Amino acid sequence: MVKYFVRRAIQAIPVLLGISLITYFILLIAPGGPYARFAQNPRITAAQIEAFAERWGLNDPIPLQYCKWLGVCGQKPFLINALPGGTFQVAGLTIELPGGDNGVLHGDFGYSITDGRPVTEVIGSRIIPTFILAGTAYIIWVAIAFFAGVYAAVKRYTLFDSALTVVNYVGFSLPTFWLGLMLITLLASPPLKWFPVSGMWNARQVPTFGSAEYWTYFGANTIPALYDLGVHLVLPVFTLVLVNIAADSRFIRSAMIDSLNQDFVKTARAKGVSERRVIFRHALRNALLPVVTNIGLEIPFLFTGAIVTETIFSWPGMGRQFIQATENFDYPVLMGILLVTAVIVVVANLLADVAYAIVDPRVQYD
Amino acid sequence: MDPTIRADGGALAPIAPTPVEPAPADFEVSLVSLNQWQIAARRFRRHKLAVFGSVLFLSIVAIAIIMPFFAPFDFYKVPDPVAHCPGAPKSLGSSGCPPSLDHFMGTTGGLQRDVFTVVVNGARLSLIIGVGAALFAAILGAIVGGTAGFFGGWLDNLLMRIVDVLLSLPILFVILVASKFLGGGSWVSIILVFGFLGWPPIARLVRSLFLTLRSEVFVEAARAVGVGSGRIIFRHILPNALSPLIVATTLQVAAVIVTEAFVSFLGFGVDVTQPTWGNALTGAVRFIPLGNWWWPLFPGMAIVLTVLGINFVGDGLRDALDPRSRY
Repeated sequence: MVKYFVRRAIQAIPVLLGISLITYFILLIAPGGPYARFAQNPRITAAQIEAFAERWGLNDPIPLQYCKWLGVCGQKPFLINALPGGTFQVAGLTIELPGGDNGVLHGDFGYSITDGRPVTEVIGSRIIPTFILAGTAYIIWVAIAFFAGVYAAVKRYTLFDSALTVVNYVGFSLPTFWLGLMLITLLASPPLKWFPVSGMWNARQVPTFGSAEYWTYFGANTIPALYDLGVHLVLPVFTLVLVNIAADSRFIRSAMIDSLNQDFVKTARAKGVSERRVIFRHALRNALLPVVTNIGLEIPFLFTGAIVTETIFSWPGMGRQFIQATENFDYPVLMGILLVTAVIVVVANLLADVAYAIVDPRVQYD
Repeated sequence: MDPTIRADGGALAPIAPTPVEPAPADFEVSLVSLNQWQIAARRFRRHKLAVFGSVLFLSIVAIAIIMPFFAPFDFYKVPDPVAHCPGAPKSLGSSGCPPSLDHFMGTTGGLQRDVFTVVVNGARLSLIIGVGAALFAAILGAIVGGTAGFFGGWLDNLLMRIVDVLLSLPILFVILVASKFLGGGSWVSIILVFGFLGWPPIARLVRSLFLTLRSEVFVEAARAVGVGSGRIIFRHILPNALSPLIVATTLQVAAVIVTEAFVSFLGFGVDVTQPTWGNALTGAVRFIPLGNWWWPLFPGMAIVLTVLGINFVGDGLRDALDPRSRY
């Protein structure tokens, strides 16, 4: 079995290389390319654009650029910083350059072409808000879907079961972004105005999330800070929960029904085991098997975030960062996010297979 | 049974045939044989949700085709705000008028367009993109999946690794990048982008169907009597793989409509001058805090009803096309 997983892990390498190659070429071949944001600005001179191209290595052929991004080609192909910080000027902006630029294989993802921050720092600052939002929603929807799915399976064809089916149909058909818009319209706009329209903190009272001042404020005013965060969480979390409950509860319900129809459940009932014990000890334990792997496969979502929900509610997470980077054609940031996401998805798939093999002794890999 | 050997061992006297009364003409029993599709159609008609879904979807299609000719306002002509918004409370400013007799879905903020006209005109492109991209994805997926499943070997390996790569890409991310940078805002390129990114799951489905069907006895029999590969694919395997493919394509239409709406809503999709449901919602965001609830409500309702209808039809098709189903 170990051999199987080693082989799977090795097979993941060409897949990841393929993903990065495709996305890199799409990004740099696209019309306008990294220069797109200068096109509308008449004050940018040809010399400035040339300096920009020189700094980011855009004059190289694209395969060479990809090779450098990867960290295989380049003047200093070992763990030495080719660009050990310094300042850089473009369009009247002074940009500080900390860290290295040696390519992904050396752990350097390069710099954002919009604000010059290292890509790792950009992604790092966005991952905690994403984790807070996605994590809260995930716990709530998995818990609700679990209990609703099991209950609907036990009380099949009752009013509750049909109600859950209706909720599922609606959940499948509601576009997430529109649900978010309607929640804002209903609960965050006049006349009700119960919740803030967007954002993660009240900028009038609370310092920027993640900054040193924020944590000082958080330490001094823990309760109001948590309340402020909670109020901002309600609508985006509700959106995510409603949309995601559908698929999960349907899956859990059918797994539980399958399990309840098995012969060992009939045997247990025939022996006179109490219904309660039949459901919880015999049926549920076996239904958990597929459910656990299925729920586990949703874990990458905790890091990649909900691009739609974050955009609608201006939540400062990974998804929104991606949209902003796309608008600015910030290809180093885009490549960073795409690669991190792809790695997380590949690893999660592998872990789900491992978990499945551990939980279910019948599963054999060769 | 051999007529000479009788259980009672009795004489071989011929048994007089029981006279069969000729059936009267109006009782004549005619055996109508229903083919696979007629049976499926009958099952589909008995599936209440599916019938409801198809009525819903077909009426939306009909509205999309016919209504723009009868809609009271011209979508491409920007109306005069004063003339179209009589008696609006001044506090509302330019954020549109609520539903009234003149505009039963209200008017948009800013240009004061009739929301009903916007929704009806948006239906065309949204539906064309949904159906077009789903068909494109289905055809591409069937070709790739069928090739991989039927021929197997290194070709299968290569094609499935490509599918793996495309499926590992965060799909919404790629759609955004591709529609913004390759699309250029025309709806044809949006169909191509969505079609091209939608085929991998369908290819996987078709491949697995072909893999199973390839080793079925009837395929072996056909091969044994010398039927060529082309005929085996199109006459023996494909018809049996068609049902899941149809269901997957139907559900893909719904998925594309929702995703396209979001992509256009963000300004990455179809050019804003073209009416789609996603574009109809783009401008609404600014006016929501001013209390305009009708502008975001109605285009979204159109999406929800369409998608709900398609999902019902998809579920109905799944049940109707499955020979083991009880409908």
